Amino acid sequence: MSGRKETVLDLAKFVDKGVQVKLTGGRQVTGTLKGYDQLLNLVLDEAVEFLRDPDDPLKTTDQTRQLGLIVCRGTAVMLVSPTDGTDEIANPFIQPDGA
Amino acid sequence: MLPLSLLKTAQGHPMLVELKNGETYNGHLVNCDTWMNIHLREVICTSKDGDRFWRMPECYIRGNTIKYLRVPDEVIDKVQEETKSRTDRKPPGVGRGRGRGRDDGPGGRAKGIGRGLEEGGPKGQGGGRGRGGPGGKPGGIRGISFFTFIIFYLSNSP
Amino acid sequence: MSAGPGLESLVDQTISVITNDGRNIVGVLKGFDQATNIILDESHERVYSTKEGVQQLVLGLYIIRGDNISVVGELDEDLDSNLDLSKLRAHPLKPVIH
Repeated sequence: MSGRKETVLDLAKFVDKGVQVKLTGGRQVTGTLKGYDQLLNLVLDEAVEFLRDPDDPLKTTDQTRQLGLIVCRGTAVMLVSPTDGTDEIANPFIQPDGA
Repeated sequence: MLPLSLLKTAQGHPMLVELKNGETYNGHLVNCDTWMNIHLREVICTSKDGDRFWRMPECYIRGNTIKYLRVPDEVIDKVQEETKSRTDRKPPGVGRGRGRGRDDGPGGRAKGIGRGLEEGGPKGQGGGRGRGGPGGKPGGIRGISFFTFIIFYLSNSP
Repeated sequence: MSAGPGLESLVDQTISVITNDGRNIVGVLKGFDQATNIILDESHERVYSTKEGVQQLVLGLYIIRGDNISVVGELDEDLDSNLDLSKLRAHPLKPVIH
């Protein structure tokens, strides 16, 4: 198991850039990536958490809270994407492909 | 055919990924690993209810959060070719694995080897067939050297 | 020797899968691994409802993660082709609660 590193995504290119992180359980955070390790533990600076709808914890709202400098535990990281270029858009599918 | 071989073959193709939380991601597969972690490019994310959409240039998704992947039909035909050429390349059977090793540690070792059947493995009889093998996974390296080691061992023992 | 879940005998056969989120997916098993991840070809989902007949949604080629699979069953194609799905009413399955 030793050196099996997560080479699927090279996080180096995101260092000092904004990233969006989704965590198991539904929390969603953005921040500036300051560091990471091969277990996908992440250090985020000026992190902001998007608060969730109390009635539906799977939905995030536009309300935020400032977290400052944080470590995201790798095992809880579900998804990482750059904030740069990430935008909410109108339905791009004729019929929502989701569900 | 192994699901991960199919996934590997799907690199460069568009696909739809649904996560356990119900969100779906449509994008082109850039890369994947043996944990099913995936890297997508030109992604459209759809919320669980299908009412909100985001586009993102790329994203990394941890394998264990995936519910399923929908891949283009033609990809399965491409795998078959790859699988075949790989099978041809693989060294002849030999009873590697069974046999020695058991004296000292019956369970441990033999078990370790048996894991990771590659296609054909289970069919034949699978027993000690090496681990997933050359398939391009990082683990393969270890598998091969262990395999070589056994051959070496066998050929050198009286 | 049998590969864990013993799905080998079902390869290239039509199978019916129930997932943890309560979906029923039918397709041809093309492959699987130790984690019971499976490849389903020409798959479709059967959506059950009490108000109308069973709807079939074409899904195509799918990789389903083993984590998300509750049940894998062989499908008797003769029996199945005799079903009139349009007359079949059933409650949708509830998702597995962990």
